[in-house]
Amino acid sequence: MEKSNFRIFSLILISVIICTMITGCFDRREVDELAYVMAIGLDKGKTNDIKMTLQMAVPLAFGSGNEGGGEGDKSVLVTTIETPSIVSGLNITNNFLSKQINLSHAKVIVFSEELAREGIQKYINSLERFRDVRGNTYLVVSKGSAEEYLRSVKPVLEVNPAKFFELNLTSYRYTSYTAGSQLLDFFLQQSSSGSQAVVTLAATGKYESSDEFSLNGSTYKEKGRDNPLEGDFKAGNIPRVGDIKSEIMGVAVFDGGKMVGELDGEETSNYLIINGKFKNFYFTLPDPLFDEEYVVLNINSGRSPGFRVNMVDEKPIIDLNIRLEGDIISIQSGENYEDLDKLPILERAVEEFMKKDMLKFLYKTSREFNCDICGFGKEMKKKFIDWNEWEKFNWPSKYKNAEFNVNIDFKIRRPGLIVQSVPVYTTEGEKVMPSD
Amino acid sequence: MRIGEIKRMNNKIRFGTWESVTIMLILFCTQIFLSFPRTMAEGAGNAGWILVIYITVIVLVLFAIMSKLYSRFEGMDIIDISEYLAGNVGRVIAGTVFIVYLVSILSIVLREYAENVKTVSLPSTPIVYIMGFFAISMIVGAYAGIEALVRTSAISVPIIAFAFFIIILGVSQYYDITNLFPILGTGAKDIFIEGIPKISFFSAISILFFMSPFIRTHKSFKSVGYISITIAGILLTFSTLAYMLVFPYPASLENILPIYSLARLINYGRFFQRIEALFVVIWDTVAMLYLSTGLFFTVYIFKKTFKLVYYKPLIIPFTIIILGLSLIPQSYMAVVEIENMYFRKIVLAVSFGFIIIIMSAALLFKKMQKRRK
Repeated sequence: MEKSNFRIFSLILISVIICTMITGCFDRREVDELAYVMAIGLDKGKTNDIKMTLQMAVPLAFGSGNEGGGEGDKSVLVTTIETPSIVSGLNITNNFLSKQINLSHAKVIVFSEELAREGIQKYINSLERFRDVRGNTYLVVSKGSAEEYLRSVKPVLEVNPAKFFELNLTSYRYTSYTAGSQLLDFFLQQSSSGSQAVVTLAATGKYESSDEFSLNGSTYKEKGRDNPLEGDFKAGNIPRVGDIKSEIMGVAVFDGGKMVGELDGEETSNYLIINGKFKNFYFTLPDPLFDEEYVVLNINSGRSPGFRVNMVDEKPIIDLNIRLEGDIISIQSGENYEDLDKLPILERAVEEFMKKDMLKFLYKTSREFNCDICGFGKEMKKKFIDWNEWEKFNWPSKYKNAEFNVNIDFKIRRPGLIVQSVPVYTTEGEKVMPSD
Repeated sequence: MRIGEIKRMNNKIRFGTWESVTIMLILFCTQIFLSFPRTMAEGAGNAGWILVIYITVIVLVLFAIMSKLYSRFEGMDIIDISEYLAGNVGRVIAGTVFIVYLVSILSIVLREYAENVKTVSLPSTPIVYIMGFFAISMIVGAYAGIEALVRTSAISVPIIAFAFFIIILGVSQYYDITNLFPILGTGAKDIFIEGIPKISFFSAISILFFMSPFIRTHKSFKSVGYISITIAGILLTFSTLAYMLVFPYPASLENILPIYSLARLINYGRFFQRIEALFVVIWDTVAMLYLSTGLFFTVYIFKKTFKLVYYKPLIIPFTIIILGLSLIPQSYMAVVEIENMYFRKIVLAVSFGFIIIIMSAALLFKKMQKRRK
């Protein structure tokens, strides 16, 4: 072909390509023709395999850009159907909605506890294969019905319901009472032979009025405490009432694809500390010198946790070394723990308190659940040369006999805005400490 | 035909070491964006990254042998050497082998890319429509010629490499070093014995022996070979290592497009996420450059084998043949099976075995001729 002919040919070709491209994609789908699902809830069905609840965004309700707080129930559309599988459920839903269902902005998938205990493996496999669903979609196990939980979610402080889930389910970064479990984490952990998965526990609050509050659902007695601390609850049992009925607290423990147990908020914070996912949280501790008084600290991670796993007589011996640091937030007794002589009393008390709870948590994972959710198996795996040896070793069968040695090194770094506590004067002119 | 005559026949187009390296990188590294990291996991489990280093070292050794043999035939390509060895018959046989090899690999890669685009970006678009777009780019690239392709590669490769490293670094928050243990994965035998055929991933080395007339000197030819194999080895190792660090074995066996799966994970806050759009752009750029270069060399070899004057009239017929062949497998799974079960073995024989045999025989022939004289 001559040069001039080639140029004409190229020009025609480019024109054809551009004309084809600017008319849009062959299978284009306009944004306003799609219904974006924010949350999917899965329960056991009555007439079919599963009952699927979809919470969809209503863009018109929050599209004005008004940041003055959302009208929770109006910014979302909730619909429930019974279906043999997730995708067939979407198909049914497309029949009665004007827009086509799209999962590319789905933030959370909620499984009911009943379904989770039967096993959620087949649903996870189906979601992993589905291109719309992303690995960073959060997974949640709902105590009770997933439908009830999703219907109780009212993004009152948020205009955008997706933002509600994003912020709510990442609150573990400053509370440490949930685990921020995502679809990818779950998939990787359950397909790993060195660790097991956990999923955030959610529920609809059970109290209608503050008069009904009780400690029946608290775990404080199991831990040998006289009074509950804030982490001694699981979702659904927190004594609280309010406009927002939904709540999250604790995690569900999975063995493969089946739920085998639950951890409360405080146990979940131990899980996060050992896993190195811990950021910081407010930690309430009974005052080491005054009964019925509390000290509150803001604890954060000093260094990444270290652990060693050794086999002694077919028994895994796991040595944990945890370094934490914190700031004093509140001393109810008014005791001068800021004093360098008294500071070690508080530091040792924190270490002892945490160590006791951490050991309880670790033995619960091994003896009760037989689930290595902290991933000690990954450390053990380093001692093997190839995969055959590792599989023959069969770590999951060894973990139930594991023994733990925990060493916590805690340092208080800052006293907050008060450098020392001073006594309070009474009308009689007495100088008393707040604890007196 | 004498060597001097063959040298005079060669094209006047010349390009430098860096440009040659970039086109070779495109040819070597295309598999990164397809199934390469997963294939390494299939081969050696979590030690797939060691397997990549191992096969890179083997390929460097093989290239050292091949370039040593080739040093006596400076300025000639494999077709010229075959002709020198066995006359017209040798030229036609060698040319036909390489044409069949290139047409097969192009039809497989075209189908794989098109299927993957359909899976991740255009699920409702007919496969022929997607393949048509790739075919158009192949035609345009081959028409523009090797010089344009090489220059485009020289510009594109740094951008593609930058985007690739963004993906690799972007998922670093998911890296878990314990995924690399047990250190030898599924076993030393899988890596060091059964892993040897995996050198077929460097099969594009055969193209270097067709590019040689375009490269100025044998020294440059050697530099291009060593540099491109080493850089490709590093990029392939990084891609596999990053994949292994995120997806533990055996979960690493599942993903259809490993690097795409990594790109989907990148998520920094509410604004920097869904970075896979970047992946699709670099992915398509690599595919288009690869397919165009492959098509160019197919028609170039055909022209040379059958001593035609022009190669451009061959571009559209060959594109139609490649397009037609790529539509034969019934499914994506069938394409993957054809590639792994049959094609990789043939590629290994052609790219390394056939070239080494031709050059060894030609060298022997040359020595015998000298003795006779």
